[in-house]
Amino acid sequence: MDQSSETLRREVGAWLRDNVPSGWREAMTGTDQASFVRMQCDWFAKLCGAGYATPHWPAEWPGGGRSLAEQKVIFEEIARADAPRLILYFVALYHAACTILDCGTQDQRDRYLPGILSGDIWCQGFSEPNAGSDLASLKTRAERRGDRYVVNGQKTWSTMAQYADRCLLLARTDGSGPPQAGLTYLLLDMRAQGVSVKPISQITGDDEFAEIFFDDVEVPVADRVGEDGQGWRVAQATLASERGLTLVELSQRMRYAIPLLVQTLGDRGRLDDATLRRALGALAAKVDAACALADRYLLKRMAGDEAPGDASLVKLCYSRTLREFTVLGRQISGLEGQYDAGFMRGATQETGNWAVDFMNSYNWSIAGGSDEIQRNIIAERMLGMPREPKTWKLGPGSA
Amino acid sequence: MNDILDELRESVRQVVEGAGLAATEQAIWPHVTELGWLLVSVPEALDGLGLGTQGAAVLHEELGRGLSSAPFLTAVMAIDAVCHSDLADNSAWAKRLTAGERITVPLVDPDLRIDRNVNGRTVLSGVVAAAQSADEAQHALMWSGSADVVALVSLRQPGVDVKHRATWDRTRRLFDVHLNSVAVDDEFVLATDRAARVLVRRLQALRDFGIAADSIGAAAAILDLTIEHLNTRRQFGRPLALFQALKHRCADLKMRLAAAAALLWDNLARSDDPIGSADATMLAAQAKYLACAAFTGVAEDALQLHGGVGMADEHPCHLFLKRAMLNEHLGTPGDRFEADSADSVIRAATG
Repeated sequence: MDQSSETLRREVGAWLRDNVPSGWREAMTGTDQASFVRMQCDWFAKLCGAGYATPHWPAEWPGGGRSLAEQKVIFEEIARADAPRLILYFVALYHAACTILDCGTQDQRDRYLPGILSGDIWCQGFSEPNAGSDLASLKTRAERRGDRYVVNGQKTWSTMAQYADRCLLLARTDGSGPPQAGLTYLLLDMRAQGVSVKPISQITGDDEFAEIFFDDVEVPVADRVGEDGQGWRVAQATLASERGLTLVELSQRMRYAIPLLVQTLGDRGRLDDATLRRALGALAAKVDAACALADRYLLKRMAGDEAPGDASLVKLCYSRTLREFTVLGRQISGLEGQYDAGFMRGATQETGNWAVDFMNSYNWSIAGGSDEIQRNIIAERMLGMPREPKTWKLGPGSA
Repeated sequence: MNDILDELRESVRQVVEGAGLAATEQAIWPHVTELGWLLVSVPEALDGLGLGTQGAAVLHEELGRGLSSAPFLTAVMAIDAVCHSDLADNSAWAKRLTAGERITVPLVDPDLRIDRNVNGRTVLSGVVAAAQSADEAQHALMWSGSADVVALVSLRQPGVDVKHRATWDRTRRLFDVHLNSVAVDDEFVLATDRAARVLVRRLQALRDFGIAADSIGAAAAILDLTIEHLNTRRQFGRPLALFQALKHRCADLKMRLAAAAALLWDNLARSDDPIGSADATMLAAQAKYLACAAFTGVAEDALQLHGGVGMADEHPCHLFLKRAMLNEHLGTPGDRFEADSADSVIRAATG
């Protein structure tokens, strides 16, 4: 660990200790969305003001210019300090900013990046009801008419879309050739005429995601990122934008939450149960391994040694370990844990409300590239096993 | 350091591959001594390679990959013990052992008690189990159950009975050493009391890290063989590897192995100094626990994925499975680790 990393760690750690809103978890339990948005907004302003919200941005931007090693330190300290996750601003700070920085025009950078710094909320418009894992098959249309695109269609599972000012939209401009080749990437104004948003009611009672409906929505050509038909390539930049940092943060949060399992054991009077103790002991080792794997991945990235499939190993490991973690919590919490105690907004999967944490663990095994897709990637790109055929001829009697 | 370790790995792999999978002890031991592998963890000040536990782990991994029969782990444990002992002539012992003089060490904690006779000499009785290749050794390193004494015992003396125990894993040769009131001269006592407890913890850490690395290397090899099998074996007009269920199974195995490997290397880095601390012993037991779980998991599925051919002993698949089964029961027992791990976690959370 070099000297400057240690210094940064102390500095960030000290700032977080002084500034993380105390009792935010209690405040966010059983509260409404408006309070959640306020908490996120306040925290964003603080973090941005301290220069810790944009470490991955280029140096000419406030808070920018930090190395991957320094970004890792910031994320680790945020996890250690149990700071709130900036769920409302993550797409803006990471997906939108990186896409615009990597693939956008100078004009787009000038128009949008300052807004992100002052709290513009962005959402992602990729998945559709019929295009989840098979994203390339998406059907939302963007028809070129003069100096604008006219968008019709529907997106789903868009995080925080109900609050978003702008949307990273992947739409189809050409239906004739291979699916991936006919996609175009647009920066869409969520306040434009024809946009409507419907929050999705999750099984936990929360509503962090929404459907977005586009009815003849106009998007100026100046808000297209990359050329016509290059949308798929631009989208890869979006999907690669957080670079494994999220998984470092989340796996560490999982490790810091192990005391919650101990607390539940104690609350249920089962601290002396030898079987449960052994399950806890075994799980703790697996959590340490998940942290080590996420950590190693970042180190490999920093050394330029990342191999195809490495990111998939990390995500799959985190998602499976999280499942075991939350299932154990669910088992330990017994009948008491089955009484609906509401949920905590803005937290991830380590709230200690095990039924909710368990249900939320599916956000990680399904979203962001499902476990099944990660396994395909590992098998095909890392292990060299043959790829799925592009098309299937289904015989009579099969689907 | 990483470049040196990579080079070491490359050169060891070449030699082990050249000797062939599961080469006999006679075939591989000369390479171990002649190529200076026994010096890997010996400090440079003592004419060693000074590569610490990480260097040793590279060797264990590559030897595991090749299902090596060389009693390398026991040799380096003994060398480390004499280097860190209170023996008057420990450097002479170190020279003998690094030159290849054969010694054995138990791969599980011994069941030995101390009786001190009237002359004040240490007298040991009990059983030292899982002493690898003891028939080739002059001496055995051992410690009492209470870890109050660590000693070298000559195996060719009255009161010592060395019994071969044939294991399913033919790649290791294990022996039970029975001691019936065997007196140990002071010159063969490496440590007593507190120093002995520290030395024993150190040996346990080295042992567990060694078994962990062996497991990671061997698991990687059998996973490679399995994927190769799936890619070449054709049924229903296509390679088995095209079936998604099998692809996913291999991906899961790869993930578990990668996680166990990441933990091993992370824990090695965290424990290098001081290796004899309670933390290092726990880190090693943790790494061993997950590495063995990953190895047995991979080896169990490997047999299934090989189909009928894996059930015939002319195919090497069973050799890996048997090594995995034995590794699980060497070193710190898994259930004891789970209980200790829980104790540690609960103490940290409630303390």
